[in-house]
Amino acid sequence: AFSAGSRLLRGYRGGHVVIRFALGGCTNRPFFRIVAANSRRARDGKYLEQLGCLDPLPNAHGEKVAGLNLERLRYWLGCGAQLSRPAEKLLGLAGFLPLHPMTVTGAERLRRRRQREQQPEAAPADGSAEPGTAP
Amino acid sequence: MAALGSRGSAALPSRLRALWALPARRALAADAGAAEGKAAPPKPAFTDEAVQTLLYKMTGLDLRKVFRPVKKDLKPPHYKLMTEAQLEEATRKAIEEAKTKLIMPPVLNEREPIDDVLAEDKVLEGTETAKYVFTDLSYSIPHRERFIVVREPNGVLRKATWEERDRMIQIFFPKEGRKVIPPTLFKDENLGTVFQQDRHEDVLNMCIAQFEPDSPDYIRVHHRTYEDIEKHAKYDLLRSTRHFGGMVWYLVSRKKTDGLLIDMINRDLLEDATSLITLYHMLHPECQSAKEAKEGKLQGVDLIKVFVKTESQREGYIQLALQAYEEAMATSSAS
Repeated sequence: AFSAGSRLLRGYRGGHVVIRFALGGCTNRPFFRIVAANSRRARDGKYLEQLGCLDPLPNAHGEKVAGLNLERLRYWLGCGAQLSRPAEKLLGLAGFLPLHPMTVTGAERLRRRRQREQQPEAAPADGSAEPGTAP
Repeated sequence: MAALGSRGSAALPSRLRALWALPARRALAADAGAAEGKAAPPKPAFTDEAVQTLLYKMTGLDLRKVFRPVKKDLKPPHYKLMTEAQLEEATRKAIEEAKTKLIMPPVLNEREPIDDVLAEDKVLEGTETAKYVFTDLSYSIPHRERFIVVREPNGVLRKATWEERDRMIQIFFPKEGRKVIPPTLFKDENLGTVFQQDRHEDVLNMCIAQFEPDSPDYIRVHHRTYEDIEKHAKYDLLRSTRHFGGMVWYLVSRKKTDGLLIDMINRDLLEDATSLITLYHMLHPECQSAKEAKEGKLQGVDLIKVFVKTESQREGYIQLALQAYEEAMATSSAS
């Protein structure tokens, strides 16, 4: 159905260029396109340029494939585009930007949570073993 | 003795360099300088003009085989009425086209595996389960210089291996005739079946489309094919195709030229036989027949006889073939 005035032809007031992920694919099968768009556009709406893609599900060789058009990325960053947090994290993993501090923080938090989970397992395990071993 | 080293690339004619899209000279200049210093007489490489002309002469130019109908969409045949002059013109143009079809694919050394770590971040250990492969999709970079890096689950950021590189480049910049995962045809057990059906040329064409010339798979498939042809003496399958030069280079480097020589003499291709022996002498100048030939400046059948006496293993067969040839020449000239 054709709404009054196409959404594609809209001109937005204000807003800035962001480089972010646009979600595509189908149910239970996400696929991200790395896209330079006006910040006020819909997430999956009209964008200025596609700068790459990311497949979050590992393929047959156990790798998550990502493509980045670094030349155009550098152009948009030079034009003053901003990055969304997931985009910053991805570029940090790629080595184009330095590692994002939240990646490091997230890794440490995960490690601490796993340690805490292991300790309660160790403690009841010790508790149940002792009465058995103790004379 | 897979011959071509980086030295050879420096002397490439510009036509071949442009066709094979080899990496720029600046990367190879360092190796060229080092290698020249070590080897006293420069060994002839696959790409030298003299070697290429010899191999090209041996390949032959059978227009019927080169322009054999390839499987295409079915169209009714197209007839033209031509005068003698027009027919000659058309034949000449056909020969030019055939020459472009017979340009030989490159023979290179096996590539060195890539083993380069860019960054190590121990903090990331245990966060991810799968590795990330990042490919640079900038359009104007040649594929050899593209950045393809892998972030492993243990936090190490390294350059991708050659296999990963080829796969990623095929995913994002697909080339016609190449698949992302190489077909099972190229495994050793399946190659035997294809060779029994005499389809060596098709295998080699598929191999050229699928692999890079310096990848170990390309070299392995080519060597298997040449070995099989040499074992069953099916040299005629590759004559008048672009693979003949590569096969001759392989056999001459390993000194297995006897079967080919017999085949050439049986088909009355004496010029090809002499060019084969000339090539042998160029590649192995220290052998006895090379020295004798240089002293005596022998030509034609004498060259073959000297070669047969000193270098070949199957002397008897070659002598028999030569005798048969000479008898045939005598009877034909007499009658």
